[in-house]
Amino acid sequence: MATAIQVDHISKSYGSFQAVRDLTFEVYSGEIFAMLGPNGAGKSTTIRMILDILKPDSGIIRVLGGKIDESIKNRIGYLPEERGLYRSVPVVDVMTYLGTLKGLSSNEARKRSLAYLDKLELGEFAKKKVSDLSKGMQQKVQFAVTVLHDPELIIIDEPFSGLDPVNTLIVEGLIKEFRAKGGAVVMSTHQMYQVEYLADRLVMINRGQQALYGQVDEVRNRYALPAVIVEGEGNWAALPGIERVETETDGRGTLLFLKANTQADDILEMIAKRDDFHVRRFELAVPRLNDIFIQVVEQGRLGA
Amino acid sequence: MSKAWLIARREFVSNITKGSFLFAAFGVPLVVIALLFLVFFVIAQSEDDTERIGAVGYVDQSGIFSDAVDVPEDFVAYESAETARAALDESEIGAYFVVPENYLAVGNIDTVSRTSLPEALRDQFDAFLISNLGRDLQPEQIERLIEPINNTVLTLDNGRRLQSDALLGLLFTPFIFVFVFLLGSQTTSSYLMSGIVEEKSSRVMEILVTTVTPFQLLFGKIIGLGALGLVQLLAWIGAGAIVLSLGQGIPALQGVTIPLDLIVIGLLYFLLGYFLLASIFAGVGAVSSSEQESRQLAGIFSLGFSVPFFFITQFLTDPDGPLVTFLSLFPFTSPVTIMMRMGFGAIPTEQLILSIIILLVTTLIVVWASARIFRWALLLYGKRPSFGQIIGALRRSPVMATTPNESAGR
Repeated sequence: MATAIQVDHISKSYGSFQAVRDLTFEVYSGEIFAMLGPNGAGKSTTIRMILDILKPDSGIIRVLGGKIDESIKNRIGYLPEERGLYRSVPVVDVMTYLGTLKGLSSNEARKRSLAYLDKLELGEFAKKKVSDLSKGMQQKVQFAVTVLHDPELIIIDEPFSGLDPVNTLIVEGLIKEFRAKGGAVVMSTHQMYQVEYLADRLVMINRGQQALYGQVDEVRNRYALPAVIVEGEGNWAALPGIERVETETDGRGTLLFLKANTQADDILEMIAKRDDFHVRRFELAVPRLNDIFIQVVEQGRLGA
Repeated sequence: MSKAWLIARREFVSNITKGSFLFAAFGVPLVVIALLFLVFFVIAQSEDDTERIGAVGYVDQSGIFSDAVDVPEDFVAYESAETARAALDESEIGAYFVVPENYLAVGNIDTVSRTSLPEALRDQFDAFLISNLGRDLQPEQIERLIEPINNTVLTLDNGRRLQSDALLGLLFTPFIFVFVFLLGSQTTSSYLMSGIVEEKSSRVMEILVTTVTPFQLLFGKIIGLGALGLVQLLAWIGAGAIVLSLGQGIPALQGVTIPLDLIVIGLLYFLLGYFLLASIFAGVGAVSSSEQESRQLAGIFSLGFSVPFFFITQFLTDPDGPLVTFLSLFPFTSPVTIMMRMGFGAIPTEQLILSIIILLVTTLIVVWASARIFRWALLLYGKRPSFGQIIGALRRSPVMATTPNESAGR
């Protein structure tokens, strides 16, 4: 897969505050890449350096095969965290103008804007002023602006904030569609469950440094406990191979910690054979991304 | 630079349809033309006033008017102030003059009238008086006594010739020019500034800076709004031409043309002055956190441009003095000063050239500095940076500042 973004040992300070230190990661075409981190971790600074708004103090960033310039900027779409549209201008005009700035002809930009508005079920609002739209609608328009010029890379900051479940699904669909066409997506978000099922890979930044990096599943497995989660009836602690028993954090299941030489398969086999155990759910104790996130941040705090 | 062109076009198109612009560009000239016709009408009206007064009486106690010559129509002699007063009460006459016995010694004449006395009637009585005082003189001499100087003003710098009646027009044209300059550059510069403040506060800036360079953005805006200012200027020049062609009946406008040199130098100062003001306003817009704040800051600079108005008497009494020379050279006051001085008389060529050079250099420096501040401050939100920080931004290499605490990843 082609490398869309290459971030190579970049650092950035604001005065005495080091926002990013020695950060390295890559984003590939055809993937959704999640950028995670607590508030103030350096995500926005990193995004701004990728977009050439800020210059790194040291390190190299390559975007779509080169150092960023005007023609490369035309191949990028950016959905800023703080949305921005001209408020007292008709929706289709704002979209057309921002499209032409990205290199589209005026006619083409207008045609595509109207097509996108139809697709987002906003066709009837084309001539309405942006300020007349609800927050969710503006959000969808903003997303359409991001992808209007058929970029090869989009950087989307909290793409789902302010969207209801139906609109979330629509935007998710558009993001997946973009990935299917071979586009690279960098998504910065705090919605961990969305990262779990949308993103292919992730980087987690804490205190300006890389804390986690890799395939989403692989990262989760890395934090997997030597335990299984079960729901059902039975005297779990009495099973051979079980070290100790805990209640799951959400209180529904039971965590069975395994002894060193025991595999999850062995436990499942045993339960199946016995009549005094009933099981409705049995799974490996792969932690939620949310828990990993909290754990990493806590560790960082203790380490500092 | 095609992106700068797109930005210029948008600024032009989106602002030219604004009500406030249409009023400034076309509404105000229409109002001025309307006012002019009103003045025209009032003057015409006052000509009629001599007729309204009707017959005019005079009482001669000095003997000047015995066997009076050149008696104007409707002038009636009365034996005494009492009889004249009676005639006035009877409405036989509208007014009367009493020339007392000691007139030659003291020059007093009493005028009694029901209403205010039209200027034309006074002139008529003056001429009547002179004719009778100087009845031994030749008619030509009388004529010269009545109108001693038929003035033609020849200004030194450009050889413009004007009849004395048109002197007002000579002074007036540059004033209009100054007015249009201030109005035009202020309107467009404040559009520029409020546009930037709006783009910052609505966060459109986030998208713009990832699409165009700050310089393209600044350049596009200045060009687009400059074109808007030119439209306004042309509208006013057009209105001026209409006024002058229609207003030839008004003495003050007779023989006044808008001289070409005034237009050329005016345009030059207009452009340089506009670029100077616009780039200052752009910088102010970039560092301001709200429209209100930006207006306050920009007001200080606008005031500087209109400072020469406060010294208007100096322009007349001491046009070559150090103050006027300073105002002509100092870049923030020179556009208005030079345009006003063009009306009052000659400006030494070398001073004019020096003034243009200083203005040009200052404008270039300010555009450069403003572009730096602009780039630096585009993504600063919330608090306005301190003066020291702004100076720092000018000295450092051009990087953009952001507000880490607010913008840092959420």
